[in-house]
Amino acid sequence: MIKLSHVNKRYPNGHEALKDVSFDLASGEMAFLAGHSGAGKSTLFKLITRIEKPTSGQIIVDSQNLSRMRPSKVPALRREIGVIFQDHKLLFDRSVFDNVALPLIVIGMPHDEIKKRVRAALGKVGLAGKEKQLPITLSGGEQQRVGIARAVINRPNILLADEPTGNLDESLSNEIIDIFSDFNRVGVTVLIATHDIRQVERLGKRTLQLRDGELVHDGELIDTPQADSSSEEASL
Amino acid sequence: MSAYFSRHLQVLFSTLGSMRRTPMATINTLLVIAITLLLPSLLYVTLKSAQSLSSNWQGRPQISIFLQKSSSDSTAQLIFEEVQLHPSIELAEFVTPDQALAEYRLLSDNNSSLEQELAFLGENPLPASIVVMPDRASAKPENLIALKEELSNFDGIESVRLDLDWTERFNAMLQVFSRVSVLLSALLGLGLVLIVGNTIKLLIFNRRDEIEITKLVGGTDAFVRRPFLYYGALFGFLGACISLSFLLLAASLVEEPISRLADLYNVNALVHQVNLVEILTVLLIGTLLGWLAARWSVAMHLREIQPR
Repeated sequence: MIKLSHVNKRYPNGHEALKDVSFDLASGEMAFLAGHSGAGKSTLFKLITRIEKPTSGQIIVDSQNLSRMRPSKVPALRREIGVIFQDHKLLFDRSVFDNVALPLIVIGMPHDEIKKRVRAALGKVGLAGKEKQLPITLSGGEQQRVGIARAVINRPNILLADEPTGNLDESLSNEIIDIFSDFNRVGVTVLIATHDIRQVERLGKRTLQLRDGELVHDGELIDTPQADSSSEEASL
Repeated sequence: MSAYFSRHLQVLFSTLGSMRRTPMATINTLLVIAITLLLPSLLYVTLKSAQSLSSNWQGRPQISIFLQKSSSDSTAQLIFEEVQLHPSIELAEFVTPDQALAEYRLLSDNNSSLEQELAFLGENPLPASIVVMPDRASAKPENLIALKEELSNFDGIESVRLDLDWTERFNAMLQVFSRVSVLLSALLGLGLVLIVGNTIKLLIFNRRDEIEITKLVGGTDAFVRRPFLYYGALFGFLGACISLSFLLLAASLVEEPISRLADLYNVNALVHQVNLVEILTVLLIGTLLGWLAARWSVAMHLREIQPR
């Protein structure tokens, strides 16, 4: 579903965010993307959603080569990918309903259908009945879940989550990661960037580990060296 | 198709809604647009009124026929009768040399040097003349010139003077005025596009987050652009509405003094009444200019805003 081959990304200021990264995430697979902040996790997400272009290498998402993708095709790509952002990226002057409905509004779905889907999505993330509230009146965890509802509302094939448990307590983190597992169970390809090693260990899924832009580990984290683990914790 | 319309209707209402949420800024913009549109409309109405004044001109041009000084009273009488019978002439008046002198004295306001000169000449130097008013059908300049040529060929006529100056000058002035108005309107139209374009630019940057997020969830450029185009068109349309109401107010304010002035000059002057076609034209021009401005602004600035 997501395939990177020898991807390099260097920013105009000379910073090399990704160095020769290759991996292949199959359709319906769920994986974690681990690494310190600044290791290149966010850059990777920006490449997959075509916010940035790689300096070299090839990225194929849902059998589309992003390097050759015309700008007019980018919206269609982004509709296939639900993204949960670390900073939520909610519209604070719009209600929860409007925020969640946005991906459906952009594709021109009839209003009745939008209503039904938004209710269902908010129910799924445990925010039923909060449609009319403004995001600012919600807690951090609730805002995160509004972001999740928005990411899944269009039933995308791919879910990308950037630090979805960033500053949540453990039980809330578990809850949110479990929501992603549920989507994965119905066939959605899920990639979660996190430095929350507890979640990685709890689910025991495939883990791609980045360090200074390089992919240093690809597979289940069985044998995490203690020092590395604690340094991950420390970075929290 | 109905989905397409309902989507556009939705954008229309949400744009109206966001205009209402910032009433001061909206009213400001609308007033600037209204005043910018008002000037060309005022020029147009003035021009139309002046044109109707010139075509309804009551004092039709006069032709003065001066007879040869040598011609006797009976010859003069014959010529007068001939002129009177001419089919293009409605009214003819014979002016004897004595009458002409009396009128001249009256106009020159007992000027003593004139009296001295007349005394020196010993006799009345003025010829007999016929003042002629052509009928309405011959009042056009080209007909008048032809009539003048015809009369010049009469025996016993010294010269013919056509008094076209007034209408000609007036029409020439109107032409200059109309050119200047067109130029000024074009400049104001350009100004309008710049004003609306700049307002749209500010809106685009104010809604930066929204644009970024919309692009992130797969909104196309057309989708992101649409509300701003509606903004521009609505600004233009509503501005034109306000402008029209100003125009009608201005027309009603000057109507009374103008008709009083016209009465004094004994002319039939009317303020041009704006008709439906003209109203629709103003609305269309306003909407179109607003839309164009938004289109231009969006093309300039929307590309700069990309998700980060």
